[in-house]
Amino acid sequence: MGMYALEVQKLTKTFAVKQKKAGFKESVRSLFKPQWQVKEAVKNVDLLVKPGETVAFLGPNGAGKSTTIKMLTGILHPTSGDAQVLGCNPWKERGRLAFRIGTVFGQKSQLWYHLPPADSFELMSRVYELRRSDYLIRRDLLIERFELGAHLQTPVRKLSLGERMRCEIAVAFLHRPQLLFLDEPTIGLDVIIKQRIRELIAELNREEGTTVFLTSHDPGDIERLCKRAIIIHHGGVILDDPVDRLKREVLKYKTIRLKLREQEQQAMSFRMDGVSAAYEDSCTILLSVDTNVTRIETVLAFIVEHYTLEDVTIEDPPMEEVIKHIYASEKANLLLGAEGE
Amino acid sequence: MRKSTASGTLRYLLTCWKLNAAGAMEFRLSFFLTAGMMFINNCIWLVFWGIFFTKFPVVNGWELRDVMLMWAVAAGGFGWANMLFGNFTRVAAITAAGQLDVYLTQPKPVLLSVLASRMSLMAIGDFMFGWVIYGLVGDHSLRGLALFMLGLLISGLLIMFFTLVANSLAFYIGNAEGLAFQVFNGFLALTTYPTDIFRGGVRIILFTLVPAGFISYIPIGLLGGIQDSFLIGALGITALVAGIGIAFFYHGLRRYTSGNQLGIRS
Repeated sequence: MGMYALEVQKLTKTFAVKQKKAGFKESVRSLFKPQWQVKEAVKNVDLLVKPGETVAFLGPNGAGKSTTIKMLTGILHPTSGDAQVLGCNPWKERGRLAFRIGTVFGQKSQLWYHLPPADSFELMSRVYELRRSDYLIRRDLLIERFELGAHLQTPVRKLSLGERMRCEIAVAFLHRPQLLFLDEPTIGLDVIIKQRIRELIAELNREEGTTVFLTSHDPGDIERLCKRAIIIHHGGVILDDPVDRLKREVLKYKTIRLKLREQEQQAMSFRMDGVSAAYEDSCTILLSVDTNVTRIETVLAFIVEHYTLEDVTIEDPPMEEVIKHIYASEKANLLLGAEGE
Repeated sequence: MRKSTASGTLRYLLTCWKLNAAGAMEFRLSFFLTAGMMFINNCIWLVFWGIFFTKFPVVNGWELRDVMLMWAVAAGGFGWANMLFGNFTRVAAITAAGQLDVYLTQPKPVLLSVLASRMSLMAIGDFMFGWVIYGLVGDHSLRGLALFMLGLLISGLLIMFFTLVANSLAFYIGNAEGLAFQVFNGFLALTTYPTDIFRGGVRIILFTLVPAGFISYIPIGLLGGIQDSFLIGALGITALVAGIGIAFFYHGLRRYTSGNQLGIRS
C-alpha cells in the first residue's frame, strides 16, 4: 500500500435531472420535449486519508456525501477525476477492492431480512471466502463485542433498529477490512445506541488499525469517533480540519431547549455572557451557548436555580447552522486578511 | 492481492440457495399455498388442451402428449431458473430502486449475486409440475431422462437471459419495469403454444428475434428424436442470448445511478 489509504483527485459526478413543472399539461409536454438540467452532485473533490485515520465526512442532506462514498466503493462511475482506494481504482478494480474494504449503509441493509443474523454471518463468510476456522473465531469475537448473542437467532425483521445496526456493523468487520466506509450509520437511532456504536467503531479502529471514513449529518458522530473532519457543501469541500479545532471554533455552540412550567416566568430576562436567548413560544426558551465563554454546567446551574422546569434538552446545532458559521468565519478571515495587507 | 476463486464462488452460490430456501420456508403456509397454486394453474391449462385434443386428436402433427411435454419443458425450465436465480424477472425494479448497491460493494460477480439472491415460491410449483408431467408421459429411459434435462436447461436459460435483456433496459431508459414484465409474459406465453401452428413470418420470428420457438419445439426436435439442426440452433441461440444479456447488463451497470430509497434484502 502507498502512503495513503485514500487518494482522491478532482472527483466529479454530474447527473442529468429531468425538469418538469407541476400539472398534467406540463407532464404531457415533458413526455415529448423533456428538459434536462445537469446537476453537479460532487465537484472537484480532493482528499488524502492516511491508513488508520478516522475521518468524518460531514454535510447537510444533499451535499454529495453519499455520492462520494458510492464512487469510492465502486458503486458509481464518476464523470471525471481519479481515485485510489488502498491502491485500487474503485470503479475499475471493484472486485479486488471489495475484499479489503467494508461498507455500512445506514439506509441499505446487508442482512437477509427474513433470516436471523447468524445466517447473514454465514453468507458473508462465503462472500469473502474466509477460512472456516478463522471465520468462526472472528464471528464469535464480534458477537461478544457487539453483544449480539441474544439476537443471533431472531429474524432480522424482528430486531429493533439499534440491534439491526449493531449486526450490520459487526458483519462489515467480519473480513477484517483495512478501510471501513460508513454512510449515516447512526441515522434514526437514539442517543445511547448512537454512543455505543461510535465506541465500538472507535475500539476496532484502535485495535486493528482500520481506517474509518464516515459520513453523517449529525455533528455528534464526530466527537467520540473521529480525529479529522471534512465538511462538504454543494458538492465541494469547504473545511478540512482536526476535530479538536472544529470543536473549538465551530462546534462550540450548544443549544439548550427549556420548557417552563409557568408562563409568567418568561418575563424574566436571561443575561449571561456567551448566551443568547430566543422564545419559541410562551413556555419554550431556546438558549444558544458559546461553550468557550460560559460552561454548559454553569448555564444549567443558573437555570435550575431560577426557573421551574418542565423539561430541558441539550442539542448540537444542526449541520446547516455549522455551515453557516463556517462561511461567516471564512468571510471574517478574508476581511481580516484584507485589512492586514 | 485477493481475487474471487471459482470454488469460492460455487460455495457462495450454494450458501445463497440454502439461505433462500430457508427464507422461503420461514412462512410455511404461504409456501405451500403459492407453490400449490402454480401447480394447479398449470394443470388447468392441460385440462383445456386435453379437451381440445378429444375433438382434434392431431394438430399439425402434434398430439396431446407433445403438448403436455411442451408444458413440462416450459414450466420446468422457468421453474428451476426462477428457483435458483429468482431475481431475473426483477432486475429492472431492483435497478430503478437503486438496490444494486449492496451487491456492488461485495467481491462476488454482481449479476450472479443479484440473480441468486431470491428464490421464487411459485416456481417450486412450476418445477414440480414439469417433473410430474415427465413422470406421466415422458420417456423414462436413461437417454430420455438426459434429453428431458437438457430440454429443461435450454428452456430455463433462454427464458432467464431473454428476460434479463429486457430488464437491463432499466439502465438505459430508466423505468423499464412495465416493459420488461410484458416482454417476459409474452415470451413465456409463446413457449406454451405448439410451434407448428405458426407459419411464415411469425415462425421465423419465433426462431430468431423472439426465440421462444426453441423451447416450444423441444418435444418434437429434441425429445421426439434429436434433429441436429434444431439442437445446434437451440444451443447456439441460448449461448447468444446469454452473451447478449450479460453484456447488456454489465454495460448498463456503468450507467447505474444508485438512489436513496430505503432498502432491505428480503
